[in-house]
Amino acid sequence: MSQFRAKKLDLSGFINSRIIRDHTKRKVFEQYEPERQALRYIIRNTTLPARARAQAQLQLSQMHAYTRSTQIKNRCVAGGIARSVIRDFRIARYQFREQALAGELPGVKKASW
Amino acid sequence: MSLLSPHKYLFRAGRSFQVHSSKIYVLQEPFQLTISTKLATASRTLSSSSQLGNVADSRTLISKLEPIERTSPQSQPVVELPVKPWEERLDNIDLNARLPRSVQALYLRPLRRKAEHGLPVCDLQLRSYSVRNLEFFADFALRAAYYLNLPISGPVPLPKIVERWTFPRSNFVHKKSQENFERITLRRLIQIKDGNSQAVQAWLAFLRKHAFYGVGMKANIWEYESLETAKNMDQALLEVEKNLEPHLSRFGRRETETSETEGSLSEFLGNERLSLNKGPLANARSG
Repeated sequence: MSQFRAKKLDLSGFINSRIIRDHTKRKVFEQYEPERQALRYIIRNTTLPARARAQAQLQLSQMHAYTRSTQIKNRCVAGGIARSVIRDFRIARYQFREQALAGELPGVKKASW
Repeated sequence: MSLLSPHKYLFRAGRSFQVHSSKIYVLQEPFQLTISTKLATASRTLSSSSQLGNVADSRTLISKLEPIERTSPQSQPVVELPVKPWEERLDNIDLNARLPRSVQALYLRPLRRKAEHGLPVCDLQLRSYSVRNLEFFADFALRAAYYLNLPISGPVPLPKIVERWTFPRSNFVHKKSQENFERITLRRLIQIKDGNSQAVQAWLAFLRKHAFYGVGMKANIWEYESLETAKNMDQALLEVEKNLEPHLSRFGRRETETSETEGSLSEFLGNERLSLNKGPLANARSG
């Protein structure tokens, strides 16, 4: 969402719109995490008045989608692909193959056993 | 290596060359004459020894031989010079002058101090993807520990960490054609026993300063204290708690948050920040 997006590009490396979007989501989630946790705490705390808990539930559901952690998806830093991204290298499988064959990933070799 | 190569030539050229060269010495003929005889002898020896008799083969043999021939003087007859081979000369190099002991020690196994009590003080784990670098750096660490008076045990080869990945070579349609990749992390454990803790720190700092490319390091350090430690810690606890109190009371809160808004739940729930999702059309719809 444009209200959250940085006015100036604050990323480097491979960039496309989906990468920028994911980056924005990460920033927003980090920014709003204490609020979310506070609301979750209020909802679960049975010693608090029922009204406050119900209100907190509503508030939590009202919060922006970008403040959810589930919106974050790992993307390939070299190609922006979201599928089959290897955590160790943060690269999708095709980029991994290319870089590994070129010898750019330290220690990674073709295996045969 | 380039200096040694003529001798390699000699060995590579093999039997036929040796036969030929002996012929030169026996005949003691001028150079131009030897060349003319060389063709004949080389081809003859080839045909006799390997039953090939190929002209092209003999030609290549002669092109190999030529650089050695050129070194001999052209006008005078060939004289055998008493030059020793390089290997022999290199062997004799340290007969008169020896290297300093510390330098000589580099050619031997690393020296070790003996541990008196055997209390482990520091565990250093080295990791790398290449054995060469790892072995070299482990050796370096051992020698450094010796000169710092640190008793050492190891390097213990820890189990390898093998990571494997399999990916399709192209699109998902071609799932049948896949490729395997692996990364093998090799590990060595070096343990220091009952060394001075400051010496251990110095050793670790030295290793960090001279860190080798492609070798990672991880150290666990143990310190031993007297039995009074628990009592001392109990005494120090009161003061520590007092210092931590302002930080702990604000646990999970924003640093910029003022103390006024902390208290009331209703204020927090009515916070504007929570319902920031009002897009441009949200107001229009409600109004």
